[in-house]
Amino acid sequence: MRQSTINKIVRCAAILSLIIVGCGQKNPSPIIKIGCSGPMTGDQAQLGIDSCRGVQLAIDHANEKGLGIAGYKLEALALDDQHNPAQAVNVAKKFISDRDVVAVVGHFNSSCTKPASAVYHESEMVQITAASTNPEISKQGFETFFRVAATDDVQGPRGANFASRKLGAKKIFVIDDKTTYGKGLADEFEKEARKLGIEVLGHEGITQGDKDFTSLLTKIKPFAPDLIYFGGIYPEGALLIRQARALGIQAIFMGGDGVAMPTFIEVATPEIAEGVYATMVGGDTKKLPSAQEFIRAYETKYGPVGQWSAYSYDAANIVISAIQKASKKDRKAILHAMREISGFHGVTGEIVFDKKGDNQNQFIGMFQVEKGHFVYLGPAE
Amino acid sequence: MHSSNVFLQQIANGITIGMIYALIALGYTLVYGILQLINFAHGEIFMVGAYLGLFVYTLSQTVSGNLAATPLTISIIVLAMIGTAALGVTIERFAYRPLRNSPRLAPLITAIGISFLLQNAVMLIFGPSDKNFPQIIKSQNYSWGNVAFTNLQILIALTSILLMVVLNAFIKNSKLGKAMRALADDPKAASLVGINPDQIISIAFLIGSGLAGAGGVMFGMYYNTINFHDGYLVGLKAFTAAVLGGIGNVPGAMLGGLLIGILESLGAGYLSSEWKNVFAFFILFLILLLRPSGLLGSRVVKKV
Amino acid sequence: MKKRTGDPTEKKKFHKVRAPNKSVIPEYFYRESIDSRSKRAGMTRVLLGALKSSSASLPESFKISLLLVAIFTLPFFDKNPYHIDIMVTAGIFMLLASGLNVIVGFAGILNLGYAAFYAMGAYTYALVNLHLGVPFWAGLWVSGFVTALFGILLALPAFRLSGDYLAIVTLGFGEIVRITLNNLDRITGGPNGLLGIQHPALHFSSYQYQFGVRSEPYYFLVFSLVVIVVFFLKRLESSRLGRAWVAIREDELAASCMGVDLGWAKLSAFGIGGFIAGIAGCVFAAKQGTVSPDSFDFVVSVMILAMVVLGGLGNIWGALLGALMLSLLPEFLRGFDIYRMLFFGIAMILIMLLRPQGILGERRHKEEFHSQSSR
Repeated sequence: MRQSTINKIVRCAAILSLIIVGCGQKNPSPIIKIGCSGPMTGDQAQLGIDSCRGVQLAIDHANEKGLGIAGYKLEALALDDQHNPAQAVNVAKKFISDRDVVAVVGHFNSSCTKPASAVYHESEMVQITAASTNPEISKQGFETFFRVAATDDVQGPRGANFASRKLGAKKIFVIDDKTTYGKGLADEFEKEARKLGIEVLGHEGITQGDKDFTSLLTKIKPFAPDLIYFGGIYPEGALLIRQARALGIQAIFMGGDGVAMPTFIEVATPEIAEGVYATMVGGDTKKLPSAQEFIRAYETKYGPVGQWSAYSYDAANIVISAIQKASKKDRKAILHAMREISGFHGVTGEIVFDKKGDNQNQFIGMFQVEKGHFVYLGPAE
Repeated sequence: MHSSNVFLQQIANGITIGMIYALIALGYTLVYGILQLINFAHGEIFMVGAYLGLFVYTLSQTVSGNLAATPLTISIIVLAMIGTAALGVTIERFAYRPLRNSPRLAPLITAIGISFLLQNAVMLIFGPSDKNFPQIIKSQNYSWGNVAFTNLQILIALTSILLMVVLNAFIKNSKLGKAMRALADDPKAASLVGINPDQIISIAFLIGSGLAGAGGVMFGMYYNTINFHDGYLVGLKAFTAAVLGGIGNVPGAMLGGLLIGILESLGAGYLSSEWKNVFAFFILFLILLLRPSGLLGSRVVKKV
Repeated sequence: MKKRTGDPTEKKKFHKVRAPNKSVIPEYFYRESIDSRSKRAGMTRVLLGALKSSSASLPESFKISLLLVAIFTLPFFDKNPYHIDIMVTAGIFMLLASGLNVIVGFAGILNLGYAAFYAMGAYTYALVNLHLGVPFWAGLWVSGFVTALFGILLALPAFRLSGDYLAIVTLGFGEIVRITLNNLDRITGGPNGLLGIQHPALHFSSYQYQFGVRSEPYYFLVFSLVVIVVFFLKRLESSRLGRAWVAIREDELAASCMGVDLGWAKLSAFGIGGFIAGIAGCVFAAKQGTVSPDSFDFVVSVMILAMVVLGGLGNIWGALLGALMLSLLPEFLRGFDIYRMLFFGIAMILIMLLRPQGILGERRHKEEFHSQSSR
């Protein structure tokens, strides 16, 4: 019968091809891979790409200087998690099953880093994130987790402090994008704001990917807040402020590190974005003397430095130093070496890990948009 | 006093997006009236219109950076309309026409396939991130009482109304318009009278897609960012609008579009903005359950 | 529509159509009284009947055994854990495609929101596991039945609506579920989803085997489920319910005139399709350890539909083949990741234009797609 013959042939072919592909057994290779993951496609692609470029640069420099383990070449393996938690778990599993990968710099979004951390923890592989700021991740107590960035339970409150003391805001409306990061940050901000005696007029969530916020903003307008705080990323942030101004809302606009990037200004247009405040992990990287060489090298190879490139550069370098210390292509050994690192002098400053894996150096800077650029005002206090 | 201002503001916001829904809904209703086919790819045509508008604008900037805003806008809309109209006719010719006698599932699945094709083609050509749609006409805020609106909103309203009025006149008075109505009423009788169904169907797609293209450009101008994914949700809501007004009914589509826009705005403002997209679906379910023929549609008796 | 009961002529007709393979068919399998009993009892009888009927001719059993051997020994030949992981995903999609095949292929009702059922299964297990500590094996049943229930609820509009409108309603349902999962953060974790879902564990007296991150145990689990589901569906296909579905698919009006209980048939199609999606979702949640709304959007619904269409609407093996192909293809096209959806779109258009019955086709469908008569 024709039908069943085709049946059989196609099925056998499918299974056979799978076996053939699978049977390509790899010999132990002289390559050590450091994984890197973030959103490489989609609306936040720039963030992930910039971040992994930092890792790549670190590896290039290390290979040039012959760091790592003698006889082995360092390589970066960048995979896209599309800022999707389920995809992040898949990516984590891919990294785990690749015998050459010894550590991962990732992920980028807190909503991805958190679920992936369980996978890395179970496989006892080092995971260090440059940009995920949600405090809950390290609270899980995984000894495989390390973080370079500051955490939102510091970023949020410092923003609230600044809003209260320096800007004199008395009535604030809080908006978040309902992601692990956005909501976490907004919640921390609100907690501190209340403690400082600020009247929080309301706290609403928007959906990431949405475009039209006019209904929500129309609802907010009669409250006449002094300041609107947004926990979220630049695509929605830019639209929010545009639509707010179009509706005649005069409130000051403040966001977190998700908003503190040039693309925000671009989408919101410099005129409308003028005066927007944003906190960022770390100060003005461009002005740090330790970072100049890195910036030069990055700009030569890739162009303008991404917001998190320096942090992932540091993260990768910490991993490389751990690899060197362990002098074995073995995940557990490298994990041990990581845990024993007492301090690291990176381009972004001193990095010291506490027991949970967080960076004890929690510096938050305040920036403001002036004439189309984010200008560093000083530490957020 | 305060609350009535908010109410009016929400309505004003709703009318603007409602106009855009109405333009797209017309495309659905024209096609469904004749073919009983839900053109799933119609939302994507709207999206392509927005991208075409952006493309034309970028081209125009290479010619001269100093073009007058209003004529530029009009040209962009017209050119985008031509582009989407051509796209719609092409899709009909090559993907739907061969399946005209196939069981219902086939063109529906094909339409989904085209929807994916268009979405991803645009994504691959223009990139996955939001694209900035420039403010060609500088936004100016006006207010009437305490209701704020912009000149853009007025432009959108006027353009949409103009297009709909023209369409209505066309359908009522012109020979082709009458032919379309005849074909929608009774295909067999229409062909007996000498109406060429292929030609008329192409025209239906042409008009519908053109209108969607105009809607796309205006959507881009209003929200200032466009994304290849925009067509999906807007398309669904426009379809709901078409059904609300009575699918197959042209004034119904216009009415439906406005209603959906306003209801969505009010719902988001007074109930919750998170559930905004769900309102449209609930309205759809309600209509289909209670009054499937829609507000202005006529009750169709199913003959066995 | 009033049912005719106990018409002897009708019974004889069914008897003749049944395959003449000396199978032992319990008589109650065909009794009219199915509809007079409660639905649950009726289902039990159908199930029992399905299980008791012996399988088909020898050559086919041989082929099937060969296939089973190939599937279950694969992990011993191909040790790459990533490949096994892909096969697990393929297996889950095989379940999903089979489930959707029941609704779209057997009963001919276009469902564009199948991912919602998948989501329901996954989140149900996640929630009962996280809050009530329900272990995986019980969770399978819970997810299955909860999702079946939702399927039946969704079937209710199916009574009043024709194909096109119903398709949009199912789409709307899919979207509503996804948005709800996204919005009810306190219950569902919002866009971040739920974490820390328990992996399955096998208990043998005192010994416990805990599933972990390794894919091999999931591989065997998923394919065992696939085998069970396929077996069940094969029996169902040639049962009275299966034929009722075919009748509805071809012409609803004529079917109801002939005495087919439309309501029961539609409800059971959605119920069974829902149940299968439910267990697929449960396995997915247990394997990933986390669930988030993004995994269950419209694209997933369309992908599952594409799998069914590609393999052949209504064909059980077709659904499996379609699922396998569309799951594996992205891996072979590594580097062309971004073209994947484009490929799906083009494939669906081409299939509908050139070979609407899919790769394997389905006997009855073939006649319909190729016949010259119009509607």
